[in-house]
Amino acid sequence: MKRFLNLLKKEIKELVTIQLVVSLGFTILLFNFIGQMSRKEVQKAIGVQTISALDLDASASSQAILTGLESARFKIERIEGKTKEQAIDIVRGGESKVLLVIPPGFGDSLKDLKPSPIETYSYMRSFSLIGARGSAIVRGVITALNNVLSDSFLKEKLPGLDPANLKNPIKSKDFVIVHDRMAEASASEIAGMVSSQSMFIPIVLMMIVMYSSQMVISAVAMEKQNKTLETLLTVPIRRTSIITAKMLAAGLVGLISAGVYMFGFQGFMGGIGGERLQAATSQSGAVMRQLGLYFDTTGYLILGAALFLAILVALALAMILGVLAEDFRSAQNMIMPLIFMVMIPYFLSLFADINTVALPVKIFILAIPFSHPFLVSQNLYLGNYGMIFGGLAYMLVVFIVLVVFAARVFSSDKILTMKLRFGKKRGATA
Amino acid sequence: MENVLTVRGLKKSYGKQMALAGIDFEVRPGEVFALIGPNGAGKTTTLRIIATLLTPGDGTITFLDHDLRKEPDLVREKISYLPEEAGAYKNMKGMDYLHFMANFYARTPEEEKVFVDRAVAITELGDRLKTKVGTYSKGMTRKILLARALMTKPVLAILDEPTSGLDVLNALEVREIVRRYVKEGTSVLLSSHNMLEIEFLSDRVALIDKGRILDSGTPAELKEKHQAKNLEEVFRSSLR
Repeated sequence: MKRFLNLLKKEIKELVTIQLVVSLGFTILLFNFIGQMSRKEVQKAIGVQTISALDLDASASSQAILTGLESARFKIERIEGKTKEQAIDIVRGGESKVLLVIPPGFGDSLKDLKPSPIETYSYMRSFSLIGARGSAIVRGVITALNNVLSDSFLKEKLPGLDPANLKNPIKSKDFVIVHDRMAEASASEIAGMVSSQSMFIPIVLMMIVMYSSQMVISAVAMEKQNKTLETLLTVPIRRTSIITAKMLAAGLVGLISAGVYMFGFQGFMGGIGGERLQAATSQSGAVMRQLGLYFDTTGYLILGAALFLAILVALALAMILGVLAEDFRSAQNMIMPLIFMVMIPYFLSLFADINTVALPVKIFILAIPFSHPFLVSQNLYLGNYGMIFGGLAYMLVVFIVLVVFAARVFSSDKILTMKLRFGKKRGATA
Repeated sequence: MENVLTVRGLKKSYGKQMALAGIDFEVRPGEVFALIGPNGAGKTTTLRIIATLLTPGDGTITFLDHDLRKEPDLVREKISYLPEEAGAYKNMKGMDYLHFMANFYARTPEEEKVFVDRAVAITELGDRLKTKVGTYSKGMTRKILLARALMTKPVLAILDEPTSGLDVLNALEVREIVRRYVKEGTSVLLSSHNMLEIEFLSDRVALIDKGRILDSGTPAELKEKHQAKNLEEVFRSSLR
């Protein structure tokens, strides 16, 4: 145990370099900075917006529209005594993002039920989604005003009838059923919520697998490159302890790195979404709870076990790939197959339903051990415990096979002679 | 007196390529036994097998009373191996490296201190041990590696080209250190291309080529047998 701890300490020290600490610190700072910047932009977009308005009609109706916009927290800058072209030029030089032009005769045309269009000019000074939000809000207000105006027309012309029933004679109510539970929501809303809830799983998995695997592969490759492996293999410590120490160190540092990364990511997402996102989450959370689409303690434990097993599989695989690598540079290439093995189920989980794909594709996906953590959350929601525990068992078996193989490689000549050299002949030691 | 190491009929091949075709030799207590031969003769393969890095293909290797094939972990406790192209962890300070290596062998903190003090004395690097190994010259690195190999006073030190790449003075110093530890009871199995070094260091020599031992004996015996002035001529004569 003393020897194992000695080696583990050395492995951790080798991995936790100043470069790693600086890079992690920089990641947090960068995410927080971007998050804060985005937050400011969002606040600007949802805050009081200035709209320029050229009222060429000056009727009661046009005044009502502008007053309505003011009551909807828009600051209206009225342009008086100018032509449309002049107004467009004036606003171009200002800060306002939207110019409303209410045409002459607008009020009269409303009375005749042949309304003239209000022209909206959006000044695109950036192409961000947030930058385009101003005109979307104006449209929302105009829609609301349309409703008010049309309701009042209908009430005037057809008294005694509900305008809402006239405008939308057919109504629909959406319900979603998951097993024996039912809630009022649309299927697309629920699918969106489920995917946003489980969005962090692939990100966490990707981060940990990438960090840890890179570390293990590099740790073995660096021992080879620096010619320290031969010495290490002749000191009195079991080969399995060498493997375990390297994997454990990489796993620990990988977990911490991924945790730090996620912390930064959370700051970034919190910055973008802010309080509005939290409010939306609490509303949707109620519906999700009603449908049983949430993780209880057992759910989190199963999800944790799946992530943990996937990390172990990645580490064992990385250990073998590290043995194949000749030096640090080739170790960088060795990580690619592993990343692809994580990317394939990640993208498939985004765009396809595993239960409906063709059988060969399904077998291919399920054969990749990293697919199972992606599927766990969905299967937990749907109560497919057979798939869940089958996946966990499969990952455990793959891990054991890989570790036994890695231990054999480390205990045999292969640790020194096994190499993947693309385009070169394998040489023997003499 | 019981041999430290007895090798009988040792064979090893890499795929179809035969590296060792059945070699026999023994290392006695407190002696330096040297393997000399051209590149690809099988010297490093022999040393790596005895250092438990490679598995023997055929034959027996007995270290003290232990079968090396069956008890490699036990053998590792009592041997040390200095590979020809060995390196030390570049990010570690010299002193940390010595402590790290001593920790694998020492049973108590006191023993660890004894090992490290011994290594510090061998290196003669003084305050440079407080700096990172990555900043050391080749000679300094080789010295710290040799110190690592000898600090535990192993029963058998396996040294592959111990003075490889060193200048004359550093090489001389390394040879003197090895001789000093042999006097204190450590047996040494070494390989070298440098015949002068072999003559200076070795008690007995084996000439190896194409995986076979051509001849063995003390340098004096071999020179007499082959009517040669030095080991280089002995080697040329045995190849004929």
